[in-house]
Amino acid sequence: MINIQPYESPEYFVLILGLLLPIIIGLFYGKRLVNYETLFSLVFLVLTFGGDKWQQGVALIGYVLFELLVIFSYSKYRSKQNQTSVFVVAVLLAIAPLVVVKLTPLFSTNSSIIGFLGISYLTFKTVQMVMEMRDGAIKEFEPVLFVRFLLFFPTISSGPIDRFRRFKKDYQTAPDREKYLCMIDKAVKYLFLGFLYKFILGYFFGKILLPIVSHAALAHKMAFFHTGLSWPLVEYMYTYSMYLFFDFAGYSLFAIAISYLMGIESPMNFNQPFKSHNVKDFWNRWHMSLSFWFRDYVFMRFTFFLMKHKLIKNKLRISQVAYLANFLIMGFWHGVTWYYVLYGAFHAVAIIINDYWLRFKKTHNVPHNRWTEGLAIFTTFNVVCFSFLIFSGFLNTLWFK
Amino acid sequence: MSVKKKLWNIFGPIITAGLLVFIAFFAANQFVSVNKATEKRAAVSLSSNVYKGSVIKSAALKDGYVPFFGSSELSRMDPFHPASMAQKYHRNYRPFLLGNPGTQSLSHLMQMQGMKSQIKNKKVVFIISPQWFTKQGQVPQAYNFYNSPIGTIKWIKSATNSSMTRYTAKRILAMNVSGNSGAIHQSLENLADGKKVTAMQKMQLNMSESGLTAEDKLFSAFVSGKNEAKISRDQAKLPKQYDFNKLTNTANHLAAQQSNDNPFGISNSFFKKRLAKGHKLEKLEGSQTEINYLQSPEYADFELILAQFAKWHVDPIFVITPVNQKWVQYTGLSDEMYQKSDQKIKYQLSSQGFNHVVDLSADGGKKYFMEDTIHLGWNGWLAMNQKVAPFLEQKQAQPKYQIQSRFISNQWQQAE
Repeated sequence: MINIQPYESPEYFVLILGLLLPIIIGLFYGKRLVNYETLFSLVFLVLTFGGDKWQQGVALIGYVLFELLVIFSYSKYRSKQNQTSVFVVAVLLAIAPLVVVKLTPLFSTNSSIIGFLGISYLTFKTVQMVMEMRDGAIKEFEPVLFVRFLLFFPTISSGPIDRFRRFKKDYQTAPDREKYLCMIDKAVKYLFLGFLYKFILGYFFGKILLPIVSHAALAHKMAFFHTGLSWPLVEYMYTYSMYLFFDFAGYSLFAIAISYLMGIESPMNFNQPFKSHNVKDFWNRWHMSLSFWFRDYVFMRFTFFLMKHKLIKNKLRISQVAYLANFLIMGFWHGVTWYYVLYGAFHAVAIIINDYWLRFKKTHNVPHNRWTEGLAIFTTFNVVCFSFLIFSGFLNTLWFK
Repeated sequence: MSVKKKLWNIFGPIITAGLLVFIAFFAANQFVSVNKATEKRAAVSLSSNVYKGSVIKSAALKDGYVPFFGSSELSRMDPFHPASMAQKYHRNYRPFLLGNPGTQSLSHLMQMQGMKSQIKNKKVVFIISPQWFTKQGQVPQAYNFYNSPIGTIKWIKSATNSSMTRYTAKRILAMNVSGNSGAIHQSLENLADGKKVTAMQKMQLNMSESGLTAEDKLFSAFVSGKNEAKISRDQAKLPKQYDFNKLTNTANHLAAQQSNDNPFGISNSFFKKRLAKGHKLEKLEGSQTEINYLQSPEYADFELILAQFAKWHVDPIFVITPVNQKWVQYTGLSDEMYQKSDQKIKYQLSSQGFNHVVDLSADGGKKYFMEDTIHLGWNGWLAMNQKVAPFLEQKQAQPKYQIQSRFISNQWQQAE
């Protein structure tokens, strides 16, 4: 049995575009071929989670059934009552499988048997359902639509993270021809931009340059009083940052392009992040679907919680605590290692300092021209690249291995 | 704007681009042929594209080039390098250098499939470094870097079920080339299991082979001429007439100038670039006492090369390289172990009928023999040349080989 990983090889693109053709023609004539789409999605799910990855496939089925049960039960409950404790239990249950998968590496050298490619992204989608049911924004439980939303395969492995209500709106209608032609136009552009990003630039930085600079940096392990701080390490930092961006942005463009061809406007994930003027701006441009998810479902809710219960009076303190919680949770989500957690903490601190600075700027007469803007972009870029050096885990290899 | 116009705006550029690529490949396939100048450049370029490809190698072999298989030593170009010597003294052969740091038996086995019809019944030179024969053997990263898809496809297409074939397929799979999908991977899995390559896989392989061949042709003109220029500069430093004593004098003279700033007789530039920095040298002192070249999967990989040579009636001369003796003493590498591994390699050769062996393994202490720690230079190249040149220039008796499959066994790989 064969196994094909999404967006990795030319064969995958030929296969997916070939099999998409009926859907594209259908949408061009204003029809959504639901049955064909189901079959098509199944084929790709089997290709991704079948073959020698069949255990992941079993884990995925188990996961979906479990989350269906959680959401079904919560929606039943929510139609009658609305207790906070039950809501908390529902959220905890929804994230339980992910927590187990993320914690397993701490106790075992094997990865968890209930894990599969994309479990985090599916969890974001389920938690979102529970939260919006709590808000009353989602009223009824639609299992078929929910499963379609959850398993929408172009984005299954690494996002972008869509919102259920947005997805539902796209999904229940077919775009008119004018609009669909626009979407195809964008899809083609994104596909080719993605090829440039992932297979040319990402490949260059990640597969050609990175091994060289990593080798050089490891050779300077003893540099600067045994800290390993060396020029090659600086080169590593920038190279890794470029690789991370082009690889992930390329992947995201593929996922979005394929969604568009299927008549679904999955949200954008990147908006020229290295042009950011400050760290806050950066998080509005980098892995946007994730940062907006965290903004809406962690940061905002945590802020409201603090205000409602009057746990902290000072408004500034509230947002600072919320940032800390927000980014620490994001850090833990990446994985329970010191460098992911530090990455989260680093960004929390950076954004808090940034907040102070913005306040200072409001009350003081700080000059503003293209040079200060340039300086802002330069500073932000370097702060971000440094955070990626932490994120890369390379320091762990450099210092502790 | 009409719908048709819009569709054309979207897909027109893709269709045009696709057509242009197709035309370029088609034109390359039809009209590009490798000329003599390209062959000359490619022969000493050590370019990985030439190594992986097929077109240039095959054309050059037809024109009298002789493959010199090896690894890092090939890049140690001084006036006494085989390429320079052959040019200066108008030998009836020209070396075609095939090898880079990290290329070992397995990568050579695949890349030489690309010159299959040209190498049959020919003489070749094969430089073996005992340094290949580590506990791990061929390093997968290096294999992947020098992996020749054309060669691999050609090998798969001509493979028939045998213990050698199954073993080879398993070894290549262990290098994990191209992930775990694609026709190459699937057909290798079939061969490893003793099954046939399916018709579907064969079709896919043929398709990618013709694509790769067109690509190989298209890019064949872009080979760096840097080494060619170096060789032609270097050979000008050699005496006009071939005279071994004069050559030795020149070698001693040049080497004395170029290796005078360190206690190992290592070329100054290598010493400065690779060893003199920081605490590198200190750390290497006594660092190689545990190194062992006696047990290695490389012995089996090397056997695959021998079996391939036997099958194609190739007549090879093997050169076994030494280590700089002063360096051996400094790093604590065991002389006894080195000689034992040399014996093991030679036993494997002689017991199967491979009788042309230039064993330099014990010459690492001779004056100006090594350009650096483990690579031949000056007198080392001369010594090799003295044995290799007559072998290539004179007619040799038809060799008779008795290939023994016990040499791919785990037992042999681990034998002391």
